[in-house]
Amino acid sequence: MPPPLSGWTIWITGFVGKAPALDEFMSFLASDFFIPVLICLIMLTLWLSQSDRFKREKIQRAVMNTAVAIGISTLGVHIVNTFWDPWPRPFLVDDPTILESARHAAQTVFYFAHDPSFPSNATTIAFAAATGIFLGNRKVGILVYVLATCWAMARLYAGIHFFVDILAGVALGVLIALFICKVFMPRMEPFPSWAMNLFRFLYLA
Amino acid sequence: MALDYFVLVFVASMGVYQIVAIYAKLDGMCLFKQRPLQYFFGVLAIVGAFGWFFTTEERNIQHTVEGSQQLGLFLGAIVASWVVTGILASIIQAKVDSTANAPTEGKQYKLGIENLKTRTLLGAIFSSLQKERKDKV
Repeated sequence: MPPPLSGWTIWITGFVGKAPALDEFMSFLASDFFIPVLICLIMLTLWLSQSDRFKREKIQRAVMNTAVAIGISTLGVHIVNTFWDPWPRPFLVDDPTILESARHAAQTVFYFAHDPSFPSNATTIAFAAATGIFLGNRKVGILVYVLATCWAMARLYAGIHFFVDILAGVALGVLIALFICKVFMPRMEPFPSWAMNLFRFLYLA
Repeated sequence: MALDYFVLVFVASMGVYQIVAIYAKLDGMCLFKQRPLQYFFGVLAIVGAFGWFFTTEERNIQHTVEGSQQLGLFLGAIVASWVVTGILASIIQAKVDSTANAPTEGKQYKLGIENLKTRTLLGAIFSSLQKERKDKV
């Protein structure tokens, strides 16, 4: 049985093939390499960008928290996948309307990914990164939220996720990042400070 | 694919280091004396790396570079790029007196990249080792 809001998948994948330039652009945005690398490079820029050493340490701790949040969110997705895999990818469902539309979209824009559909791993990671960065630097955080949204929408357009997968990814990513940055990492002291000292010793921070 | 990904991150992060070095005043990591040239190199490295990666091959295919492997490659590439940039900058700036503007407060290793505002990476490491040896004697 298809998940709730699966009509969105039919609607958005219906645009695929109508404008080749849009398909190309979405293919680029949906890539496993473009937006993730861009987000990581933004984190790297934040890590080094402050001239003042005290401001730098503050932002570096935020970036470190974000990196931990990304790692834990990936783990969270794996745990959800292990215990609950409610529906297959849109191009593998029984409903012929969804299957045909999503199959065409995946073939044109992306590729046939065969790992679980729910929740969207890419969306979870991207929103965990955006939330972590937002807590350290609002302006850059908003930029990363925009990138994360583009990545998620491109994957919906590519017919490899249902809208519910995306929503679950957003919720999981944001919640995990908030927990890691606001609750977990402050309680992990002195380990984050030891890590910072090690990075400084190695001339990396 | 893994090697291509490593090269993408290595070159793009080298570009990031050059641009960031201007704003963070990390003179010890600068490969160029002229700021506009350094900025241009940084932008060229980032755009060039992405351009090369996405135009040479179709990247939206079923690949074997999984998330954890991507993370490992990314971390390896940014550290390798940092070290290579540091060594290159040290060689280029070798004529600069490494003892100039030495930080006076605290142990050098506690300052981390703060050292790179006034000295190169190799200069900072050698200076730190010398200081440690003196302290022991």
